[in-house]
Amino acid sequence: MAERANDRLVRLLGIVAYLDGAGPVDVEELAHRFGVTPARLREDIDALWVSGTPGYMPDDLIDFDAFSLEEGLVSLTQSRGLTRPLRLGTREAVALVAALRAMSTTPAVQADPGRAAVVAAALDKLTAATGEAASAVDVRLGGPEDVATLEVLSRALATGRRVRLRYVDAADVTSEREVDPWRLLTQSEATYLVGWCHRAGGRRTFRVDRVLSAEPTDVPVSAVPVDAEVDVAAQVVADAAGPVDEVRVRWASAARWVAEEVPVEEVTDLPDGSFEVRLRVTNPAWLRRLLLTHAVDVLAVDPPQVAAEVAAAARAALAGYGRD
Amino acid sequence: MAGENAAGGTPTRPDERLLNLVIALVNTSAAMTKQQIRAGVHGYDGASSTEAFERMFERDKDTLRALGVPIVTVEGTGHSDEVGYRIDNEAYALGTVDLTPAELGAVALAAQLWSDKTLRTDMSRAMTKLAAAGAGDAVGDAVAGLTPRVRAAGDAYGPLLEAISERRVVTFRYRAASTGEVRTRHVEPWRIAARGGGWYVVGHDRDRAAERVFRLSRIEGRVRLGATPHAYELPDRVDVDAALGARVRHDSTARLAVVPERATALRARALATPGGDSTSGVPAPPPGRDLVTVPYGSLTAFADEVAGYGAAVVVLEPAALRAEVLRRLRAAAALAADTDGAAAAADPDEEARRG
Repeated sequence: MAERANDRLVRLLGIVAYLDGAGPVDVEELAHRFGVTPARLREDIDALWVSGTPGYMPDDLIDFDAFSLEEGLVSLTQSRGLTRPLRLGTREAVALVAALRAMSTTPAVQADPGRAAVVAAALDKLTAATGEAASAVDVRLGGPEDVATLEVLSRALATGRRVRLRYVDAADVTSEREVDPWRLLTQSEATYLVGWCHRAGGRRTFRVDRVLSAEPTDVPVSAVPVDAEVDVAAQVVADAAGPVDEVRVRWASAARWVAEEVPVEEVTDLPDGSFEVRLRVTNPAWLRRLLLTHAVDVLAVDPPQVAAEVAAAARAALAGYGRD
Repeated sequence: MAGENAAGGTPTRPDERLLNLVIALVNTSAAMTKQQIRAGVHGYDGASSTEAFERMFERDKDTLRALGVPIVTVEGTGHSDEVGYRIDNEAYALGTVDLTPAELGAVALAAQLWSDKTLRTDMSRAMTKLAAAGAGDAVGDAVAGLTPRVRAAGDAYGPLLEAISERRVVTFRYRAASTGEVRTRHVEPWRIAARGGGWYVVGHDRDRAAERVFRLSRIEGRVRLGATPHAYELPDRVDVDAALGARVRHDSTARLAVVPERATALRARALATPGGDSTSGVPAPPPGRDLVTVPYGSLTAFADEVAGYGAAVVVLEPAALRAEVLRRLRAAAALAADTDGAAAAADPDEEARRG
């Protein structure tokens, strides 16, 4: 609640400062600029209209031209001193600068000099405007991806050309695929290529560090869907065809990130600090790998058959170590 | 509806009260005392008692400062001893941020980076302020097709950032990775950092009198801020990677015995292996396996990856990696009793042979 009140205050101050500099602006355009509906914007204007300096007589108040407003034009006639845009608060500066700085160091940005220059310029200007406080947070994204591979993918993305990949999936199976690249998605731990896979005849997500080789082609990509924005984690699970199994896994509290990173259907917090997630799994290899990798924090798995498979895989692996 | 507020009818919304306070303090010639604010600024007239007003005003002052509004305190002068308040109009304004459409495109993309609600809220306010400063339309061509995302930092982020900004000591319960033991820690936080999927705070651990790194996901319960601001100095330079390096980065090389045609992703990162080099003292791979030498950064992340391959990959060295992988495999093996017919039969046999 408090958050929302603060958001609105920042917008109210912003609307006056913007109009003071810009002159009359269309309601729709102003609403778009501040990311609200025209109806919400009109409520904001009503609130501004009755705000001002103590006394609150007509001459003390922020004022708009009522006639213009009826015509759909917001025209400020009295700003009561709110003529300048408010500087960023510490937290806002941190969120903005840390995000840009993180982006500037991602392999996907670094792979293209023009792109890197744009991000660096934006970062310079914002750092100059916000001061040193923003260094309190330091975020680095992406994994140890191969720069040459990223350059190929990045160029293919920019020029709208299909790429030929040799790719090894989570189940350790290598394949050759032709892919229309849609997006390069950088997460904290790795970079992913999202696109249309011609071999699978569907949308697929590829971890760039599992791309063994990438070759450009001259074939233009078909239209990129507008919703190419995807939830990668969901995609990784959904990519494998096959029946859907529902699995419940209880995790120790240290594995909290599972609830955030893995596309879970439901999370139940338990009194002892552990929690249970319900997963819909279409790719058994993916689940087996998840459980093997993070078994230290796994408390229980249902159905028991899944636990038995993982345990058997682990025993087979332990056999390779002899009596260590 | 809002008009009735001006007439002093219904209670004013908090955002509208704050707006009127800002306008009053921007326009005051010298400063306003608390009494003048209570009596004059719209929204404070509803306070039921002096205490209620004081609480409301203190909270509003904190809120406005956090949003970047520079409220300054003016010591009583001349006819009055009472402290007054005004807004520093010079400090109020955002400096010129003259972003090109392409640069704005990069900023708009960066705005999508955060997963946490608090960081997203901070970010959206920053974007509102840039919009107020007249930022034009963003053009995303330069960064088309990119989507950066960072994993959520969690509840500790807000208090830690506040503590760093105000140089306050923090106290929290922390679960040690090595022992699983939960202890109360007292830390002078320097920097919050995200690396390789984890969020950390780097700072000075008062109990151990040394620099330490804490993983935010292992903080249990709330982070509490000390009462004293400016309780410590930030070091001139904080090298997050060096600090984390002591903990999670080991630029090492692993020697792995890999089943032929398996673990292709690992092999793709392999160093050229000197075939049949018997002088290096490297243990030979078991028969029917390939020796693969792979450099790695993070011990735990690499152990995760190797364990995920199950029987296809065996770690020959280093011992630390071997131990980490074995820890994971043993935990996985313990997930279900060994009830499989063949396996159950094999074990006693082996015991018998050894006996």
